[in-house]
Amino acid sequence: MRRLRLTAVSFLNTRPIVYGIERGLIGAGRFELGFDLPSRCAAAVASGEADLALMPIASYGASTSDLRIVPGVAIASHTAVRTVMLMGDVPWHEMDTIVLDEASRTSQILVQLLTRQRGLAPRYEREEHDRIADRVGGRTGALIIGDLCFSASSRFRHVYDLGAEWRSATGLPFVYAVWIGRPDVLLPGDVALLQESLALGLSHRQAIARDWAAKNGVDAAICEHYLEQNIYYGLGAAELCGAAAFLEGGFRAGLLGRNSALRFFSSPPRPAKATVARSLDSMLSDAAAGARLAFDEGLRLHQSASLHDLGLAADQRRHSLHPQGVVTYIIDRNVNYTNACTTACQFCNFYRTPGDSRVYTLTRDQLAQKLQETVAMDGIQVLLQGGINPQLGLDYYEELFRWMKASFPIAIHGLSPEEIRYLAERENLAVPAVIERLVAAGLDSIPGGAAEILDDEIRRRISPRKCSVATWLDVMRQAHLLGLRSTATMVFGFGEEARHIVGHLDKLRALEDETAGFTAFICWSFQAEGTRLPLRDDTSATRYLRTLALARLYLDNFPNLQVSWVTMGPAIGQIGLRFGGNDFGSAMIEENVVAQAGAVFKLSAEDIERYVRAAGFEPRRRNMRYEWLGQAQPTPA
Amino acid sequence: MTFSVVADKVHTGTPLSLADGLALYRHPNLMEVGSLANVVRERHHADRTYFNRNLHINPTNVCTAACKLCSFSRRDAQAPGAFVLTVEQAVDKLRARIDAGDKVTEVHIVGGLHDGLPFDYFTRLLSGLKALAPGITIKAFSAVEIFFFHRCYGMPVEEILLRLRAAGLDSLPGGGAEILSPRVREAICPNKCGADEWLEVHRVAHHLGMKSNCTMLFGTVETLDERVEHLLNLRALQAETGGFLAFIPLPFHPENNALGDRPAPTAAEILRTCAVARLMLDNVPHIKAYWVSLGLATAQTALWFGADDFDGTVSEEKIYHQAGALSPQSLSPEAIAAMVRAAGRSPVERDTLYAQFSLVDKREAV
Repeated sequence: MRRLRLTAVSFLNTRPIVYGIERGLIGAGRFELGFDLPSRCAAAVASGEADLALMPIASYGASTSDLRIVPGVAIASHTAVRTVMLMGDVPWHEMDTIVLDEASRTSQILVQLLTRQRGLAPRYEREEHDRIADRVGGRTGALIIGDLCFSASSRFRHVYDLGAEWRSATGLPFVYAVWIGRPDVLLPGDVALLQESLALGLSHRQAIARDWAAKNGVDAAICEHYLEQNIYYGLGAAELCGAAAFLEGGFRAGLLGRNSALRFFSSPPRPAKATVARSLDSMLSDAAAGARLAFDEGLRLHQSASLHDLGLAADQRRHSLHPQGVVTYIIDRNVNYTNACTTACQFCNFYRTPGDSRVYTLTRDQLAQKLQETVAMDGIQVLLQGGINPQLGLDYYEELFRWMKASFPIAIHGLSPEEIRYLAERENLAVPAVIERLVAAGLDSIPGGAAEILDDEIRRRISPRKCSVATWLDVMRQAHLLGLRSTATMVFGFGEEARHIVGHLDKLRALEDETAGFTAFICWSFQAEGTRLPLRDDTSATRYLRTLALARLYLDNFPNLQVSWVTMGPAIGQIGLRFGGNDFGSAMIEENVVAQAGAVFKLSAEDIERYVRAAGFEPRRRNMRYEWLGQAQPTPA
Repeated sequence: MTFSVVADKVHTGTPLSLADGLALYRHPNLMEVGSLANVVRERHHADRTYFNRNLHINPTNVCTAACKLCSFSRRDAQAPGAFVLTVEQAVDKLRARIDAGDKVTEVHIVGGLHDGLPFDYFTRLLSGLKALAPGITIKAFSAVEIFFFHRCYGMPVEEILLRLRAAGLDSLPGGGAEILSPRVREAICPNKCGADEWLEVHRVAHHLGMKSNCTMLFGTVETLDERVEHLLNLRALQAETGGFLAFIPLPFHPENNALGDRPAPTAAEILRTCAVARLMLDNVPHIKAYWVSLGLATAQTALWFGADDFDGTVSEEKIYHQAGALSPQSLSPEAIAAMVRAAGRSPVERDTLYAQFSLVDKREAV
């Protein structure tokens, strides 16, 4: 096997990532590591001089080459980062000039985005890294990066940590750098080695910090705190949302030439760790602190934990993931473009068999009206789902998406895995090819529908013509690898058992480990009215709340859980915010599917905000990446 | 006052103060407050959840009180939608249920303050129902109605109660308490009896050996202090008489009434009030999640936030539905038992006075 040339910048924060490789402890015969300047890393990959580079995120965003990201490894921050700062003698809003450090394009874009978000428009100038601190004075502030921040931060009256500022503006982590290479240079085994190198480095952060401090004459305690508290080295779903928000923001602001999707090398499945037997109480307290639950433990919690114990633990976990006390919601519209469907699921009262006189496919005029109304009501997205309509081929969707994108400022969150699978079959194309074409036409993200219970035994009983579990998961996997985010859902109440519920969560969690592509999980109970499937199961409020709380604890790698007020009602939706939910879903302008089966709740954005506040949270609007939009609204008197 | 201090008091069985009640209302973590209330709930009742088979009869909606909070009443007998049931019509409602094979054990009667009815209308109503079903328990006339009878018919409260009891009255419902504060009553129900009078009617009833319930209507104009003081007033009377069986928290419903510009309390506020009541009213045996008012989902969840009673099968609920309640107008005993069991509780059918119980067999579940 050919040796792979890896290149990285020689900063303190890169050391844990390359720790195992640098010492020849991991991938000794496979990797060859060199260090270079940040600006040269991207060029080295583009020219083929290097196979893989630990590269600033802005370089990925600016690159015109087809590149892939190594999953699971990043230099990121959740709040304060300590080494990317804006400093000045006057506050941010009084700065008329901001001097940018030439060494870091990512930081340059970051400070410009945040400045713009505050409604400010100072003059920008560039300066060499070594001279930048000297430029600060009067109404001139400067972007200061790296070790220099440690010494400079006490010199100026106004110091802004841009990692923390990004978090409070968007609600998301910030990603500074990731491993990037050309497609096909890495095998899944290589990805595993890179992840192992990081894991080894993380367990040696103290030694790395001391070594660095000794060599560079800086304080070891500061370095250690920096590696352990400021820098976050994972690349999970929340970090990916942060990176995507940055790339899109940079593109919209004209600071990046394109809006690059985050595309990935595929990752090997993560082996399950053996766990020591735990009591119910320690399972709950460990899971509340973010520890992983084994399948059997999930079963035990499902069967034995009380409503309160599950709720308290889930609430604690929700709090640690979303410590700002914010509950988000989106304004979007559910558009069901056709009700013709050949799948004939027993639990559905929405579909009509092709040929039935009640079959519809929305016309362009009908769609235009719905989309205009959506935009007029501050809607930013359309959730586009329909039946499996044999009349509609891939070209229909491509034309539809192009037209929607050309006509309306709206994101398309559309087509469940079942619809995508059907298109692949109908067009005789591979799933990734279908997704690529849909994305090129304007698809932004994929809803998590058609999951019901991800268990083939249950699926054969309630929806025998729908895609298998493996297919559902694979469509999601391919979409995630191609840079699409998606949600995941679960519908319970079909007479399934605990093992099916926990199994469903387990499959989602395993795929999230692999791709980090799910932004959120949403569950609700089967709405039976008018369907062919009699309701023989418990679909009451307390079962929903228990299931939601269990999901919050089991899905340790999912950043967000939506409550489903549309099906469960606003009261239980609100209470769900104390059982693990951190998102109130959508102020839905329209919903057809569960409305046909008896769920008829309606809430405006104003109603949602009232419910959220009454539950003790601050409401914020978001987009599909769970990025906060606009400014925080003061609580009305 | 911190939550942990209040929690310590609860664990040692120390009665809570006004400041404690406010701390419970203001504690940011609803789950912790609910969990603490659940400790008391399980101390009293383990996982038992009570319900009964009952029938609601509203003899009239004609009412002189004109309360701003009400969507049910009509000012006079000529107003559109006004009704007065004849005694025969009222008795027929019970007859219809019995004929349908329904094993009703309780009739719940509340109505408007109609100044054009003779007192014997009410005694005939009670004796008519008892004649049809001698074994049935009649829980009738809120303290507001009893006090109105006292004024209207010129008899002392005690005499009113004795005459009604002679005709068949067994116990009093807890309605009309709203918030036991002169300020709040002036704002929302100025023509109803005062706070002291409401308490006095229950005191007299308790001294006569009758049991009653108590309620709190929350979510209108009252402050948190006024809510907690209301609970303390109820606790003080209970300490004196021991006559209250259950406390029922009633969230305000805003439709079709004169206070309708304010939003209804949300589920989070309802569950918290339920929990605070369970913790403050340590001497009242039962906290009732009246599903008609709370909604089924919130009532079911309330079984973990202090409530141990689901009320009854009801049927023909009018007062809350006029105010926009979305709950069904009746539930079968099987549906109640299934919902209680789904919440992880054991359904127990009871009589009005919680004197006889039967655990509902699992096989009856739907």
